[in-house]
Amino acid sequence: MAAFSGMTRTHTVWWSIVLLFLLAVEARAAEHRRVLMLHAFGHAYSPWSDMAASFRAEIIGRSPEPIELYEVSLDTARVQDPNDDAPFVEYIRALLSRRSPDLIVPVGAPAAFFVQRNRPQLFPASPMLILGADVRRVPGATRTEYDTGVLLDLDLPAYLTNILQLRPQTTDIAVVVGNSPVERFWTSELRRAFEPFTDRVNITWFNDLTFGEMQERAARMSPQSVILWFLLSEDAAGVPYSEDRALEAMREVSAVPIFGIGDYQMGRGVVGGPLMQTKVLGQQGADAGLRILKGEKPSALNPPSVLFGTPAYDSRELQRWGISEARLPPGSIVHFRQPTIWEQYRWSIIAIAGIILLQSILISYVLFQSRRRREAEAESALQRREVEHLTRVSVLGELSGSIAHEINQPLTSILSNAQAALHLLAQKAPDLAEVRDALEDIVHEDIRAGEVIRRLRNLLKKGERTAESVKLNDLINSTVGLLNSELIRRDINVKLELADNLPVTSGDPIQLQQVLLNLVMNAMDAMAKTPMAERSILISTRGKPTGSVDVLVKDRGHGIPALANGHLFEPFYTTKEHGLGLGLTICSTIIQAHGGKLTLVDDQNGGAIAGFSLPVQETAARVM
Amino acid sequence: MDKFTVYLVDDDAGVLKALSRLLRANGYEVKPYSSPQEFLKQHDPAVPGCAVLDVSMPGLDGLELQQALTAGGSHRPVVFITGKGDVPTSVRAMKAGAIDFLTKPTKDTDLLEAIRRAEGREAEARQRLSELEAIQAKLSTLTPREREVLTHVVAGRLNKQIAGDLGTVEKTIKVHRSRMMEKMGLRTVADLVRMAEKVQIGPYWPNGQLDGRPIPPP
Repeated sequence: MAAFSGMTRTHTVWWSIVLLFLLAVEARAAEHRRVLMLHAFGHAYSPWSDMAASFRAEIIGRSPEPIELYEVSLDTARVQDPNDDAPFVEYIRALLSRRSPDLIVPVGAPAAFFVQRNRPQLFPASPMLILGADVRRVPGATRTEYDTGVLLDLDLPAYLTNILQLRPQTTDIAVVVGNSPVERFWTSELRRAFEPFTDRVNITWFNDLTFGEMQERAARMSPQSVILWFLLSEDAAGVPYSEDRALEAMREVSAVPIFGIGDYQMGRGVVGGPLMQTKVLGQQGADAGLRILKGEKPSALNPPSVLFGTPAYDSRELQRWGISEARLPPGSIVHFRQPTIWEQYRWSIIAIAGIILLQSILISYVLFQSRRRREAEAESALQRREVEHLTRVSVLGELSGSIAHEINQPLTSILSNAQAALHLLAQKAPDLAEVRDALEDIVHEDIRAGEVIRRLRNLLKKGERTAESVKLNDLINSTVGLLNSELIRRDINVKLELADNLPVTSGDPIQLQQVLLNLVMNAMDAMAKTPMAERSILISTRGKPTGSVDVLVKDRGHGIPALANGHLFEPFYTTKEHGLGLGLTICSTIIQAHGGKLTLVDDQNGGAIAGFSLPVQETAARVM
Repeated sequence: MDKFTVYLVDDDAGVLKALSRLLRANGYEVKPYSSPQEFLKQHDPAVPGCAVLDVSMPGLDGLELQQALTAGGSHRPVVFITGKGDVPTSVRAMKAGAIDFLTKPTKDTDLLEAIRRAEGREAEARQRLSELEAIQAKLSTLTPREREVLTHVVAGRLNKQIAGDLGTVEKTIKVHRSRMMEKMGLRTVADLVRMAEKVQIGPYWPNGQLDGRPIPPP
């Protein structure tokens, strides 16, 4: 018994759970919300299809209870014969025979009119939410206590204002509007609303054209024209156009920009502006619908009309028609903006720019450095030339007495010859041949004086290093000539052993003469204490088979002081009492610049030998 | 007698030629030398003339050349020309008896004037020399005794004193004296003293010397 009773209890619990489960399922089934959506045209006629899509998605998505959606396409907007309502009414009643809908949602004014006409047969107690009709079409007076509407309030003049703001040069506006009853209504509304603009722009209406004609017209429109695409559900020939595909076809051929009226047209070829907001309308419709489904009284809801949102524009169209974004109203939204190169490749650009900048800085720095180096080099070259020149001047200063003598000799000769000539001419029977000789000698001596001065001028010349063919033997003769008086004064005998056919070298004759002058004068100075009879300088030249020319200046002086060894070519090192210490330094620099080497050694027989070798000038060497 | 000759020495050929021409145009006989050694070698002191020397020349300069001339016994007047007229050199030259020290370029007037002065001095010297030569010629005709007597006369001694000095009689001295005066072509003792001065014959001195100098040979 106990066992049976236990058994019975277990069964009771089991069945209770099953019952509860079934009840729960039944309760859930009872909570399904039936929403009847009525479409005025078909499923796919903008803007209603867009509004419906938005509403549908919102209400299904946000409803706490499952939505059982019934959608009926009336096509009344195109047919518009109230006598044809009956089959639709029957159909809907049949569709919803088991239970009245919890909410009737006519989308667009024609659908609202249908419900209003047939309300007695169609669930008079079910609440109705009119979606997306213009407030002008379903004024409050036409609604029952079960009715409410999330309606549009289109600000028609704003469309033209927008056009004129973006394209002030506009003279013609063609309005694309179809020829269905709804569109005829809107045509008259538009004509009224656009009336104030007719003194400024010429408005043409395409409502009595077929779409093909509209396209033809659009293709030929003047540049100052625009098209306002209002609504094309059905053209004058009665051809229906769904989902605004016609808009895209129009855009293909249109010679002028196309302006639209709603967000659903965005991206299909309209420039943009203040737009009807089908998405927002769907959302707000869903808000109102959900409240009604919760039990609120429709007439109490009274939701506000949906106005234009923030003006929105299609960047591609703005670019295509050359409309500056500066003309857009402040705060406008621009869609489809092509990401700029900057937006796409920002970091690459920054990195590359950074690298380029870095490189530029480096290059600038390097250029700056090299420029500074060049300047420094130029300056040091200038200073070197200055010093070379100064040492030449100082050498010539030392020689000034002798040089004066060199000039004085020809002057003496000239004066005496001239006076001799005068004396001759004063005689009764002048010896004219002798006078002529005197005059010829004057000419000769004058040239000689000029030569001395020319040599001097050369040595005093300041200038760039030149590269000329140099005959070293000539240079040596000229140098000794310049030193002639000084050599006599110091009782120094000069012996020249100059090689015949010495190859020509290349260089700056002034600088090379400076070197020779310096070496000979050093030799002269070195022999100040040498007994007079022994004072002699030997200058010799020799061509070498290795392609160089040697010049040696040998003296019989004191030789190189032991202490001076290794310092001879250092600047400001001198063994002379009044020496500057630059002579040999400069000579060495000059010879090095000529591709040679200056040497100074003691002679085994006493005295010193200074010498240098210079490369033979290549072209000259070949000629020889 | 030879024509007055200008010996021109300058190592500068141009100057040498020009000066030669100038002097020749003024009627001088010119002998140009470009080397001092050459000049010394060919120099004939007997030819009347002067030397125009360049101061700075290789080997032997003008002043050294002047010394060489003097050392050779020539009294040839010298005119220097120089490119560098420094004071010490000119002083040395003038002290050594130069006629003038001219700087180059030399004005013809200066040079000709200097040469004319040299000419004058040359003539003077030549005259004096010929005078001395004449005296020497006369002196050479004297006997040693007559010459001895001459020195005593010049010393202002009387015949009697001379006879005492020479250890003879006054009469003999008188004869010597009159012969000596005759040979010399003189009449008064004053003339004799003046002549002795010219040829630098000193008066007799008891120790056999005259004023510390030996009597110059005739």
